[in-house]
Amino acid sequence: MASLARLSRKALTSSLSSHRHLLSRALATEAAVKATKSSPPPAQSITECPDRVKWDYRGQRQIIPLGQWLPKIAVDAYVAPNVVLAGQVNVLDGSSVWNGAVLRGDLNKLTVGFCSNVQEKCVVHAAWSSPTGLPAETMIERFVTVGAYCLLRSCTIEPECIIGQNSILMEGSLVETQSILEAGSVLPPGRRIPTGELWAGNPAKFVRKLTHEETLEIPKLAVAINDLSKEYFNEFLPYSTVYLEVEKLVKSHGISI
Amino acid sequence: MGTLGRAAYTVGFWIRETGQAMDRLGSRLQGNNYFKEQLSRHRSLMNVYDKAPTVDKDAFVAPSASIIGDVQVGAGSSIWYGCVLRGDVNSISIGSGTNIQDHSLVHVAKSNLPGKVLPTVIGDNVTVGHSAVLHGCTVEDEAFIGMKATLLDGVVVEKHGMVAAGALVRQGTRIPAGEVWGGNPAKFLRKLKDEEIAFISQSASNYASLAQVHAEENAKTLDKFEFLKVFQKKANVDPSVIQ
Repeated sequence: MASLARLSRKALTSSLSSHRHLLSRALATEAAVKATKSSPPPAQSITECPDRVKWDYRGQRQIIPLGQWLPKIAVDAYVAPNVVLAGQVNVLDGSSVWNGAVLRGDLNKLTVGFCSNVQEKCVVHAAWSSPTGLPAETMIERFVTVGAYCLLRSCTIEPECIIGQNSILMEGSLVETQSILEAGSVLPPGRRIPTGELWAGNPAKFVRKLTHEETLEIPKLAVAINDLSKEYFNEFLPYSTVYLEVEKLVKSHGISI
Repeated sequence: MGTLGRAAYTVGFWIRETGQAMDRLGSRLQGNNYFKEQLSRHRSLMNVYDKAPTVDKDAFVAPSASIIGDVQVGAGSSIWYGCVLRGDVNSISIGSGTNIQDHSLVHVAKSNLPGKVLPTVIGDNVTVGHSAVLHGCTVEDEAFIGMKATLLDGVVVEKHGMVAAGALVRQGTRIPAGEVWGGNPAKFLRKLKDEEIAFISQSASNYASLAQVHAEENAKTLDKFEFLKVFQKKANVDPSVIQ
């Protein structure tokens, strides 16, 4: 019975497949016309694109080259599959970029240095120019830990720093070596955190000097996260086999995606 | 493509088959950790039963963004990577030339505020910074919402109003034209200068042109994209390829 059903379905799809594209196209345009008619008229009219992709089997691409710029990922860096790297992005050896982060180097250069990590859902961007007059590129140097949900824009983070979760670093801000920014703090444009200090708050203020033991802990944390990222790195094969799924889908539906 | 070519093709097929068999064996050995890759079901434009989004043909919607329900996006607007615009219980309307940057969330108020069900209205040439949260609020033309700012139910940002980065604007606050508000809860900081007001519309138009570049790159097919990657690798080694 099941085989009969399958056969009949196959016959149906094969006979319909030639008309299918035309049919779906006509339906889509009809739906689009209906949608524009039924929606309450906004201030300006919206002309919809009939062939806009609403569902894309590729999903979001991880690497997006812009013009002549191609994001560079070192061979032993871990970049999670749903991260977006666009334009001038340089992920150096041993560093890790965790799930959901967006690194968009369309206006200026971004660098994630040796053994650094940019954690979940971070946004790293760079502006055209910074208010300090220094180069507006975003520089994350070696042994830096950038916590989850952070937002970095045209800032420089020198070696061995910790940026707490949910903090914001605005244009031209500078975090000098071996300093810590607490979670949830906001660093206003052009602010500098001197070496070996702990800052916190919105806007960020000086809290205290770090002890020698604490500064020694900073690179250890970065190395620990690097070790963890290696485990994640090993979970992924050199390339994916998802194309087999696509081929299967194409065959079973008789469609081209 | 002679006999040799056919032989090579056949051998290639054997190797691929063996590879797949090895993959299956490896997966079997991993036991509980067996993982089969699935296609992403993410939809950038998604309808909730009868509420379907309306997006202009000149708007850029990143593939990883999700526009759900009754959402209208005007010409020249850009919705960046990882944004969520969720118009499920009420409508969201976004004007033209507006940019909503990475990881932002735009939502509408449910009936949590007694007697008030608010749509979210965002005007023309508005800049909404990274990771901002806009919940049932009205943002008028050429306003600026800073990075990681949070606008709660019933907030109104008037024309040329500015919300500083990391600010939390409480329910029902009205930010008058040409003022900067910041902090948690947001308070009046200062008046905007004329050149700063000019910068807001400038930044919106910059973003509109930037969005076009991204839209073009994201629309590329896989073959074209792979070709470009190889081409650029060659060009980096040997600049004469470009000529």
